Amino acid sequence: MNMTIVNHHLSVGHIAIGGVASASLVLIGDSETIQLASAFDTPPESLIIGPFPEKQNNKKNEEKR
Amino acid sequence: MSRLSVVHFLRANAVVFSSVVQIGDSQEIRLSARALAVQRQLEYVDSREFPLTFPIFTKPIPLPPADDESVYHYTLHDCPLIAVHSVRVIGISSTSVVHIGSTKTVEANSRVKHIRQLERREQHASSRRSD
Repeated sequence: MNMTIVNHHLSVGHIAIGGVASASLVLIGDSETIQLASAFDTPPESLIIGPFPEKQNNKKNEEKR
Repeated sequence: MSRLSVVHFLRANAVVFSSVVQIGDSQEIRLSARALAVQRQLEYVDSREFPLTFPIFTKPIPLPPADDESVYHYTLHDCPLIAVHSVRVIGISSTSVVHIGSTKTVEANSRVKHIRQLERREQHASSRRSD
């Protein structure tokens, strides 16, 4: 396949970005290849409902003292 | 030939956790971020508690399949300029890049695992009453 790209005048006023995070990219320029991948895991088993072991709480209190 | 990037004003408030603001051309960018986020109802911290052996940190991330047919592309820069008056970024975090200028290859991957721990229901009810 043949492809021809003609870049004419490009002028941008203002760019406002809240956040760029987790191996992301903001590029003002040219690039040949960009390959970004992201994996995010919050499965049901990663929601632990109690108990906070007594031992842990004691340890925490000891540390506080 | 790549174009010239002209940015008159750039303001970044926070650049944290191995992030970069790159002004000028670069050749190769490789980014890798791993994060384990633990949120608890009760305050408890033990950095040795979870070894980083969750499958999300080791599983290969599948890449989009490349088309067998090769693409021959010709780019003509009629105007070799990318002009931006102003850029305002509040936060750049976790191995990210804000790049003014051209580059050749960018490869990035991020793996984030979230764990949440809540109190047991009866404990939860009693703590609520005390509030």
